[in-house]
Amino acid sequence: MLLEMKHITKVYGSLYANDDVHLTLEKGEVLAVVGENGAGKSTLMKILYGLEQPTSGEIYLNGALQRFRSPHDAIAKKIGMVQQHFMLLNPCTVAENIVYGREPKKHGLFFDREAAVRITEELCGRYGLHIDPRRRVGDCPVGLQQRVEILKVLYQDADIIIFDEPSAVLTPQEVNELLRTMRKLAEMGKSIIIITHKLHEVMAVADRVMVMRLGKYIKEMPKEETSVEEMSYLMVGRRIVERKVAPQKTTGTVLDVQDLVLAGSDEKNILDHFHLHVDGGEIVGIAGVSGNGQSELIQCLTGLLSPTSGKILLNGKDVSGQSVGQIREAGCACIPEDRYLWGCAAQATLTETAIMAHQYRPEISSKGLLSGRNTRAFTQSLLEGYDVRNSGQGQKAGELSGGNIQKLIVAREIEQKSPLLIAAEPTRGVDIGAMEFIHNKLLEKRERGDAVLLISSELTEIMSLSDRIYVIYEGRTAGEFRKEEASEESLGILMMGGKLHEAI
Amino acid sequence: MKPSKAKELAGQIWRALRQPLAAAVFGLLVGAVVILACGQNPVTVYIEMFNKSFFTPYYLFSTLTRATPIIICAMATGMAWRAGYINIGVEGQMVTGTFAATVAALYIPGPPIFVGLVSWIAGMAAGALYALLPAVLNWKFQVSMVITTLMLNYVANNIASYFVTYPLKDTSGDGLALQTAEIAEGLRLTRLSSTSTFNAGFLIAAAVVLLMIFITKKTVFGYESKMGGFNSSFARYGGTKQVKVMMITMALSGAIASLAGTAEVFGLKFRYADGMLSSTNYAWTGLMAALIADLDPAGMFFVSIFLSGLQIGGSAIQRSLGIPLEIATIIQCCITLFVSVKLVFRFTRGKARREEAKGGAQA
Amino acid sequence: MNSAYIASIVNSTLRSTTPILLAALGSAVCSRVGVFNIALEAQMLIACFFSIAVNYTTGSVLLSVAAGIFSGALVGLIVAVLQVKYRAADMVIGTSLNLLVQGGTTFLLYLFFGLRGVLNDPKLVSLNKINLPVIRDIPFLGRALENLTILDYLCYVIAVLLFVYLFKTVSGFRTLSVGINKSAAESLGTKATRIQMRMVVLSGALCGLGGTALSMGQVTMFTENMTSGRGFIAMAAASLGMSHPLLTVLSSLFFGLCQGIGVALQNVIKSQLTMTLPYIATIVALVIFSRRGGGARAKKRTGGL
Repeated sequence: MLLEMKHITKVYGSLYANDDVHLTLEKGEVLAVVGENGAGKSTLMKILYGLEQPTSGEIYLNGALQRFRSPHDAIAKKIGMVQQHFMLLNPCTVAENIVYGREPKKHGLFFDREAAVRITEELCGRYGLHIDPRRRVGDCPVGLQQRVEILKVLYQDADIIIFDEPSAVLTPQEVNELLRTMRKLAEMGKSIIIITHKLHEVMAVADRVMVMRLGKYIKEMPKEETSVEEMSYLMVGRRIVERKVAPQKTTGTVLDVQDLVLAGSDEKNILDHFHLHVDGGEIVGIAGVSGNGQSELIQCLTGLLSPTSGKILLNGKDVSGQSVGQIREAGCACIPEDRYLWGCAAQATLTETAIMAHQYRPEISSKGLLSGRNTRAFTQSLLEGYDVRNSGQGQKAGELSGGNIQKLIVAREIEQKSPLLIAAEPTRGVDIGAMEFIHNKLLEKRERGDAVLLISSELTEIMSLSDRIYVIYEGRTAGEFRKEEASEESLGILMMGGKLHEAI
Repeated sequence: MKPSKAKELAGQIWRALRQPLAAAVFGLLVGAVVILACGQNPVTVYIEMFNKSFFTPYYLFSTLTRATPIIICAMATGMAWRAGYINIGVEGQMVTGTFAATVAALYIPGPPIFVGLVSWIAGMAAGALYALLPAVLNWKFQVSMVITTLMLNYVANNIASYFVTYPLKDTSGDGLALQTAEIAEGLRLTRLSSTSTFNAGFLIAAAVVLLMIFITKKTVFGYESKMGGFNSSFARYGGTKQVKVMMITMALSGAIASLAGTAEVFGLKFRYADGMLSSTNYAWTGLMAALIADLDPAGMFFVSIFLSGLQIGGSAIQRSLGIPLEIATIIQCCITLFVSVKLVFRFTRGKARREEAKGGAQA
Repeated sequence: MNSAYIASIVNSTLRSTTPILLAALGSAVCSRVGVFNIALEAQMLIACFFSIAVNYTTGSVLLSVAAGIFSGALVGLIVAVLQVKYRAADMVIGTSLNLLVQGGTTFLLYLFFGLRGVLNDPKLVSLNKINLPVIRDIPFLGRALENLTILDYLCYVIAVLLFVYLFKTVSGFRTLSVGINKSAAESLGTKATRIQMRMVVLSGALCGLGGTALSMGQVTMFTENMTSGRGFIAMAAASLGMSHPLLTVLSSLFFGLCQGIGVALQNVIKSQLTMTLPYIATIVALVIFSRRGGGARAKKRTGGL
């Protein structure tokens, strides 16, 4: 037994993030820890990596009791972690990032950057993971950045490598490559823990599976003895009904984006002659690896950025380059991709959060004066109608859980009753209950005959909700599918910049 | 009002007040240590200090007179800060506005009502314009408002100093003092007490407080500026016109700042004298009051009066006991530091809760 | 304009640069680790006071300089604890400390010496004036470098040392990494908060040395609030120098030049007007070198408020 975690409990306030959890790991084994958002997987791994201290419980390595007060301690015991959000120094080179923490020195004091390059080349050779050591990390695509993270962990000579949701930002093809790398490392004697909620990855790579739900250890079993169905049942605690969305007739075009260009700081355009259209009564999805222009597209459509050229027709009227207020007035609402950056202010009350972009409606204000009674009534209707758990309208938005604040934002934007709704990452980081609720609300919006533009990095979300799907790659429209024509493979090839006929 | 409601209200007031109160106690404790270091008995000094600031009518009137510009400066600061614009140039805006108002009062002919009106408006316009300058530079060139507003304080003080030293110096009397001539009798604000200098300027300050409460609680502009202060990306995404909000905010802040000094000239000093608004630290005391009260208008009003009392009491003990009046500055700065540390406890606790919610959601 | 006149402007430029440069380096190391320190003014002013106070009591130049550095570092430590460790709002801490030191030094001046506002005494010992043997006889250079103190030279050495430390050493690399991505640095076991606190204390020490240069350089005296905004000018200098030690030397020299010209013009234009020059120059320089799209910091709302 290489690693044992016993009776791990972690309490935040009244919340049990981990409740008496056990975990074991053998040498050369790939263990998958699965569970839905909020199940406590990340907390467990943070404890193993020394980022969090358990409230109670013990960690044993080769039978010896350990105490990890910081990642430093864990690294010293040859535990490494590839974080979900990359922990990289973007302005520095690949080599500098890899040797960070154990830098080669000259004269005992100075940083030997040439030696760092040599070390990196040697390391790449040994594990067959290739990358230019002198390249700036910020210039590398996401897949390569993840490779830097893996090389970092290998340079620290880790025997146990934790992967936290490693496939969230990758294309299906990159995911396959990553899974191959993980198997290869396991064969070389490394022990691997992968945290994920994507069950087909588990089936592809793991030797053993451990399921968590609501902070508790549920069950573990060898991969051969389980199935995707069983795991998903254990994760959620009930059977999930596959959603069937009935086709419906669309009404005329609501949003028509023609030849949209947004110039970048270098010659490359961030949005490169992008086009799409969305009709009333349909949900149109945009699939793509994040960082291919989706954020900028949303910002151009909502008026936060002014496009360099091209047309954005909203109900036939060109709104490109207009202000956010004008575009909202013209009939566009938006669930923003980052709820804490764009969607709310942590110190604002729920009332203040709820009336944003409603503040000029006649029932909320007249002649620049707010109606206290009407704002409260309006806020109450949102909180109740969208099942937002709260302790009163004076509560601060930052005190709500991620799912609840997201429901409030969804409520606020849907209640704009606009002909177009842009939903960007509407369910990122929320639990399954909130996710289903939000999906239903989006479908209701579609049934009312409004247009919904859905941007998501979760391919399954796009494929289950959308009537039509566009693929965005490097700011271009790389492909367009009807729902029934789309497959994960064909979308994935386009998301990587490939061409369909070449791949087949 | 039902008893339960009254209780709830009392609870609210207590929650709002307990941080500043605790900080005030700690601040006074630090002051006590300093007084001990001066070889005096803190208890007697504090009794003397509070007797000669709040508990005798004459000194109470002095305190309220002193509080007038401080309250207004606190409002000017609060107006900008709550919208996220770190205006530490209230002093410069006050000097510019006041100087403009005084010059208008001295040199524009006509009936007092007309001249008075024009002077006050001229002062507000000058203060507003002086505050708009850093706002425009921030909007067009992203120049840090912290630095520009502070630099403009020195510019305003030096230029006003130049004018009262040379072209506009009062040549009547001995001609030694660096000051302008006195404004006409008809322009002066009414005295509210026959025995002291307490004057209608205080009513202007109270009106500014009411205006501020109205703006922050009842108007769309107040809502939008507050959201911009909390999270400017959120406000922008919601379609607020941020440039407009910023310009109105800063103009209002500068205009209010001008009232502080204009009230001082028209109600108390009747002339502009070199350094009269900077050596008294009105703007900085107002800033301290705004920070202690966490930018809440009613809170800023009371804290300003409290800090003014410390200063009046401070100068009393300087005269009678020989303890420098800077003791007041030391106490008030310690209060702010303690308040900010309290804020930290609240903030870190809130943050821990948020992170836990987030951590839980990600796990 | 003859060369002697220019040489005297160069001379006063060099003297005015020293305090600004030292404080600007202090500001630069703070922003390099992601701390927005606006208590520079306090860190300088307290050093002005304690260097002169110790000077007056002991008559030792060395002890005075040490007192200046130490007192500046002490204020830096307060900033580090409150702002970095307890994450209090930077503006609140900065403005409170600036005012506290302003009031506190006036208070202590009265308490210790019974004086109001100014401590100026013939018994105060100034820093040694250096007139380099050969150079002093070269016509232009001799005048330009006349009567400079050791600090006027030392500040450039410190700038170079800081550059070497930050960009060439391992420890400097770790320090910079904290400012680039604090959580990345922490995830690899770097004690980021401790590094940030250390840099803030270092900035206090640098500002302390700058304050000492102010009170014991051109003149040897303490006056109430004698820094008069230099801490903020230093912030501007650091921001124009992109927090790079060597570029900060250039920007500080520019602000020193503005003060030097201000001094030189005093005979032509009334002093109240020439005194506005450094402040106006600061604003103009920030406008000219503004990078559109940068400077978001200016509008960012601070911490706990």
